Amino acid sequence: MAALQRELIERKGWIRQDDFALAYSLARITPGTNLLAFCAATGARILGLWGALVAVLAISVPSTVLTVLITAGYETWRSNASVTAAVGGTVAAVVGMMWASVWLLVSPHLRRPMQVLRALIFTGGAFLAVWKLGLTPVQVIALAALLGFLWKEPAAE
Amino acid sequence: MNLIVLYLLLLKATLTSFSGMASLPVVRNDFVVERHLLTDRQLNTAVVAGRTGPGPNGLYVVSVGYFVDALPGAFAAFLALITPAFLVIPMMRWLRERAGTPRIRSAIQAVILASAGLLLASSIPLAGDAITGYVPLAIVAVTFVVLSFTRVDSAWLMLGAAVVGLVAARA
Repeated sequence: MAALQRELIERKGWIRQDDFALAYSLARITPGTNLLAFCAATGARILGLWGALVAVLAISVPSTVLTVLITAGYETWRSNASVTAAVGGTVAAVVGMMWASVWLLVSPHLRRPMQVLRALIFTGGAFLAVWKLGLTPVQVIALAALLGFLWKEPAAE
Repeated sequence: MNLIVLYLLLLKATLTSFSGMASLPVVRNDFVVERHLLTDRQLNTAVVAGRTGPGPNGLYVVSVGYFVDALPGAFAAFLALITPAFLVIPMMRWLRERAGTPRIRSAIQAVILASAGLLLASSIPLAGDAITGYVPLAIVAVTFVVLSFTRVDSAWLMLGAAVVGLVAARA
């Protein structure tokens, strides 16, 4: 992001700082991968729909090809003992990565007691709704959106 | 599996999440629990493949698509990955003012918090599969701490974990 900001605003002068900030904030509330939405927004601001398309493809195609190659590599070599051992280590890292993602999603909302309570209710509630009540993730997300709309976040008041 | 169904299932996952990894619970529910198209082990491997290289966090869906239907599946998954990004264009027009309103912002924050709970629930069976001894447990703990509190790239942790797993297996 910092590299894009320097390149697009300071070096090329293609967009203004406030447009960049708007693209960033809207990308945060766009479903899906925020970075892709940010590139679409920035590209659209510079060159319209074609700009959005080119920006999204430029950021996603090389890494997608690499991901396919890595996956194919895992498939080809999965019977190899060394590869299996290495993948076993990385699978453990994925679990740590998922728990870190949980922390990074929740921690910005733990600044005040009411925020902590709200985070506990929504995060813990979603966990229990799936784990114990058998609700689907989509149902939980829809319910969270509705409850969040009705119960305003303390910092937003 | 029909590629359109694959695309729509993955699109549902990406459309109902607000960060790359947050789509994982929906993917697991549809592909592992409901349709048995993937095992937890394959889903784990997909996440590893998605995070080993550079690029956006949600890339693991491409690997999921590849596991389900090879290259055509990967392409369908790629389309499902990038499609939601274009929603930002009409949003720039229509949500420019509303995005800052307290209730909309509050609803989005609630969805983000709920996503964390869903991600935690998804991690439980994966953790059961991955933590088979003290070494994997240590890898989990170190990865959690480093990614939570430093800016080290996850690709380095993946590489380190692979080396530790290899060394531990030969020891």
